[in-house]
Amino acid sequence: MKKKLIVSDENDYLKFLKAEKEISDKIINHSRSMISVINRNYIYEKVNSTFCNTHRVTYDSMVGKSLGEVWGYETFNSIIKKNIDLCFTGRTVRYEASFDLPQLGKRYFEVVFRPVSEDNNEINYILAETFDIDDLIRSRLIAIENEEALRRLETNLPIGFLRCDTEGRIMHANKTFLRLMDCNDEFSVTSMNIKQFYPGDSLFEIQLNYLLEKNSKTFGRVLLINCKGREVPCRISGFMAADDSGATSFIDFIIEDLSYEMMLENRLIQAQKLETIGALAGGIAHDFNNILATISGYSEMLQDDLPKNSLLSDKVRKIQGAVNKAQSLTNQILTFSRQVEQEKIPVSVAEVVKDTIGFLKSALPHNITVKSRITRKNANVFADPTQLFRVFLNLMTNAIQAMEENGGTLSVNMTVTDRKLVMHELNKDIVADEYVLLTFKDTGKGMDPSLLGRIFEPFFTTREVGKGTGLGLSVIYGIISELEGEILVSSQKGKGSVFYVYLPVSSQYADFSGNLSDRKKIVLIKGNEYESRIFSMALENSGFSLSFVSEQMQLIKVMSDVKEKPDLIIYMSDSKQITPEDFITIFRQLKIKTPSILITEPGHEFLEEKLLNSGIINQHLIQPVSLKEIRNAIQISLRTEKNDKT
Amino acid sequence: MPCVLIVEDDKELREMIKIALIRRKFTVLEAENGREAILHFKPSITDVVVTDIIMPEEDGLNVIIKLKEFKPDLKIIAISGGGKAGPGSYLKLAKALGANAIFSKPFSVNDLIAKIEEFTGSEQPADL
Repeated sequence: MKKKLIVSDENDYLKFLKAEKEISDKIINHSRSMISVINRNYIYEKVNSTFCNTHRVTYDSMVGKSLGEVWGYETFNSIIKKNIDLCFTGRTVRYEASFDLPQLGKRYFEVVFRPVSEDNNEINYILAETFDIDDLIRSRLIAIENEEALRRLETNLPIGFLRCDTEGRIMHANKTFLRLMDCNDEFSVTSMNIKQFYPGDSLFEIQLNYLLEKNSKTFGRVLLINCKGREVPCRISGFMAADDSGATSFIDFIIEDLSYEMMLENRLIQAQKLETIGALAGGIAHDFNNILATISGYSEMLQDDLPKNSLLSDKVRKIQGAVNKAQSLTNQILTFSRQVEQEKIPVSVAEVVKDTIGFLKSALPHNITVKSRITRKNANVFADPTQLFRVFLNLMTNAIQAMEENGGTLSVNMTVTDRKLVMHELNKDIVADEYVLLTFKDTGKGMDPSLLGRIFEPFFTTREVGKGTGLGLSVIYGIISELEGEILVSSQKGKGSVFYVYLPVSSQYADFSGNLSDRKKIVLIKGNEYESRIFSMALENSGFSLSFVSEQMQLIKVMSDVKEKPDLIIYMSDSKQITPEDFITIFRQLKIKTPSILITEPGHEFLEEKLLNSGIINQHLIQPVSLKEIRNAIQISLRTEKNDKT
Repeated sequence: MPCVLIVEDDKELREMIKIALIRRKFTVLEAENGREAILHFKPSITDVVVTDIIMPEEDGLNVIIKLKEFKPDLKIIAISGGGKAGPGSYLKLAKALGANAIFSKPFSVNDLIAKIEEFTGSEQPADL
């Protein structure tokens, strides 16, 4: 432009310069950036109006001020000075910084220093431009924050997240996935292929093809194999992500752990299955009892017709023995299907546990140790103590049998848990504020996980054919269900099994001992000490007055006492001191007329045949005897006695 | 002699109870379900009713209710082989409805007869 200009006189030139300056001042003043000229002494030589407006000062008050004064000496010394010095070496300097402004507060700026040289090439000034980039920086910070929040979510969500390429090579996995798959670190996973977690290659190929066609899909349940080789039921969803060109760049997978749901579902299916079997078996048992009643009735009549102690009478008794056995079996089936009413009284669980352990310890193999820990002694449940004894005895016997070969430790723990814990554990309606939790843990053979779901079915057995009826655990299941409790099991092949028994704690402390003046006096001839204790607990708590006899002399003494004549005698035939012969002899010699009940172990009836033939015994019960049965027997015996007198 | 009505759908079992009662000189009436028992009930001659609970047509619980209406002082003995609806609930219910005694199957027929004799006051000491 200068070349084109033809200056005619100096006035014109000055005019021109003035106009030129006005235009450039206008441009500079209207710029949205703060523009200033700074000299070597760090002092403002010139500032534009944006600069003045931003600082809310006049042009005159700003020119001549040092940068330290304007921006604060701390900021000046730490940031501004070194950049200005750098600019005076001839370089354009750019940087971002936040400054505290009197009116606007802290804002972000981009600062550009440009060296201004005059004709002698010496840099005397720098031109400073300061752009307000606060909005830009803030939105950038928000974006970073959002991204971090997303990443936190991805890391912490209890859902496995996995990104891989179209070949299945893992690019990224979140913490939950690592935990779910039991992998040590992300590094080891990123060197893997997702196919390695699938039970077979073909399933992944099928899912991949689906995704390639449809972009996203939930595949439902897949049993993935974790890093430790264990199966984990998962729900898998996948979706394709494409790059700008539209080609697939990676696949994202979401993997949800279904173990808990599956566990609950399985438990429900098991319970329903057991209920169905129960209804079926219960129905058969019901019809079967009709048939047994007929057989039993005719054999009773036959027995009445035959002379006592005859050979034929002996055979009839064998029929009756078989009927008793069959009845005990149908009773167990009915117990499993919860169709037998249990006689319930408040029972101290700790007492029954202790007695059961005591009962077992007498015949414990030397290579097996039993440990017990009872943290709450005073918890009562509303149950039949003889049934509880059967439950505990059965669970402990199973545990001991599982450890027979290699030895081990049976740990029995009893504690009380509150409703919250129980509700979480059982995931069902609960009936009490507190539950007794018993755990029976062995270090035995353990069970195959596939069998675990079936062990409570009647006639399911892992023992050899012919050993046991296979009713044991199903009866336990029935008894516990009837008490509104729950039994759970976990087991590891080769490591051992744990049975968990939950029983609702009864807050009922009502006195069941009945009218004291009316209490019937019963003499119990003790068999095994611990089992006898359970019987006495059952009978005393249901209102009878009990005395014990374990030796012949004691029996003679009790029976000769005219004042304290007992109303009934219960003879447990496994008594060591008093044999059936002794019993008969004492009865005959003392001419005792007191009604008596005989309790025998199943399969030992022949030992007691003499006793049954002697006519001394009114009722014969075969173990396992429930409180209800024994109470019925007592009732009938006492009534017969009354009838005899009339 | 006292008269006993046996209500039982299982023919063999009914027959057995009948024979046992006839041996003890009881008069016996039979019904093979609850409906028949209620329809042909003879209040003037029946002293004791032995009834099963679970039967086709009409169950034993209804028998107890209806017959007690006809004859309030009638003695009723309920016999059952385990309730299908719940833990022994039928026998318990029978008792609540007015059954004078309950027996669960299989029962001792001698015990049953002893009970009937107790109700009718017709004990035969010779056989005991």
